[in-house]
Amino acid sequence: MGRLGAGVGLRAQHYPEILGGARPVAGWIEVHSENYFGAGGRDRRVLEQLRRDYPVSLHGVGLGLGSALGYSQAHENKLRDLVAWVEPTFVSEHLAWGALAERHFNDLLPLPFTREALELVAARVSRLQERLGRRILVENITAYLEIGPGEMHEGQFLAALARRTGCGLLLDVNNLHVNQANLGRDPLAVMDALDPRSVEEIHLAGFFAGAHGLIDTHGARVAEPVWRLYDAALARFGAVPTLIEWDTDIPPLAVLLEEAAKAQSRMESPHALAA
Amino acid sequence: MRSLLELQRDFAGALLGAGGAPRMAVYRGNVFGNWHGALAGAYPVVRRIVGEAFFEAMARDYARAHPSEDGDLNEYGAPLARFFETYPETLDLPYLPDVARLEWLAHRAYFAADAAPFDFARPTEARLAPACGLLESAWPVASIWEAHQENGRPERVNLGSGPERALVHRPDGRVEASVLRPGDFRFLACLQAGDALGAALEAAVAEDAGFVPRVALAAWVQAGVLTQ
Repeated sequence: MGRLGAGVGLRAQHYPEILGGARPVAGWIEVHSENYFGAGGRDRRVLEQLRRDYPVSLHGVGLGLGSALGYSQAHENKLRDLVAWVEPTFVSEHLAWGALAERHFNDLLPLPFTREALELVAARVSRLQERLGRRILVENITAYLEIGPGEMHEGQFLAALARRTGCGLLLDVNNLHVNQANLGRDPLAVMDALDPRSVEEIHLAGFFAGAHGLIDTHGARVAEPVWRLYDAALARFGAVPTLIEWDTDIPPLAVLLEEAAKAQSRMESPHALAA
Repeated sequence: MRSLLELQRDFAGALLGAGGAPRMAVYRGNVFGNWHGALAGAYPVVRRIVGEAFFEAMARDYARAHPSEDGDLNEYGAPLARFFETYPETLDLPYLPDVARLEWLAHRAYFAADAAPFDFARPTEARLAPACGLLESAWPVASIWEAHQENGRPERVNLGSGPERALVHRPDGRVEASVLRPGDFRFLACLQAGDALGAALEAAVAEDAGFVPRVALAAWVQAGVLTQ
């Protein structure tokens, strides 16, 4: 899959730019699944056009694989229908929870790295893969605090999830950096715990340094320490397809493409493992 | 050790409350930011009418009154019109609930299924295109909506101009609202309610002597409002 190279996370603001110019401008594109849950209209038409020119990946933000109560079958059904229609290159979800019974928080909330959480998420991932008839990727999130004590660390949890379900992993390198700064988690320990063959996609994004620590805003260029961590990831996992994400203060597509070009050049000549 | 459900209950309680760990404020900011963003995206006209600062404060009250129930933020905000009916801060804007109703119809219209082309061989099976929505208001609701679009002229709206019957639809992928004559409104409302074509036409003629079935049918097929 290394041939996909670097891609960009596409938002509706970019439609005129990506549809208007020469193509293809990026190796591949990724969109949020929920943005295309509608039955018809402009977004669907644009996506139909884009997937003729690009490999397209679907990235879910609202399913909440780890919600103890309130996992939505209806949401899963909409995802299944969308996946059948798009036939995407990747389908990814987050290692997170988001709902409690009838109430939804519409955010990626942190799970404890416990055996109980692993049981629940593994069962959900296995069933989702059966229902979609394909493998999914699960992504590590940013956590701003520990919800509870763990029985393993994040890397061990992700590795066990991949081993038990056969799912792939989407490694968000920016999240590793943010979690190191905020929670003191060791990003290299997370990476070392993962089976290199299980990492099929990498995310890169920018953060905001605020009063409470680093905030994963997806609203800036990729920071220098994150590029160094990315080099370490490339050294360990190979030239894994890499995506530039930008979700707040969204700039012109050209800025995302510049960041994607940086990722592409690093992918073609991986630096040595950062100390 | 606390169970996953207990941990999530505690976390949710802290998130919806105040104080606690300093970084819980980050989650509060993210969660409310997502809700506020979704509400602002679905209700741009309401936001222009009440102003951005007021809208944000209102969005906090709304979030407390109507918790999100869906992982898809495009579903967030459906009961805003109902919320306005008893919200003390906007009771001096009595047209606001209907403006919100119209905006939700427009929001739904944007995501609605594409319409199958009208089949002239089976005219009696005509129905409204999925993007269509109808609203009968005591206020000039479609005119208010139109005036508050980008490049609109809000100062030109005459709130005293009386009731309007509005149709929301999506010709060529763009969501529009238009004012209907009583006959056309009755006709489309009957079709929406599932009446047969003949009965809908009869009801429209009975309501509005100016309603000419042949002309209306041709016009609504042409506009993409009638489908199969």
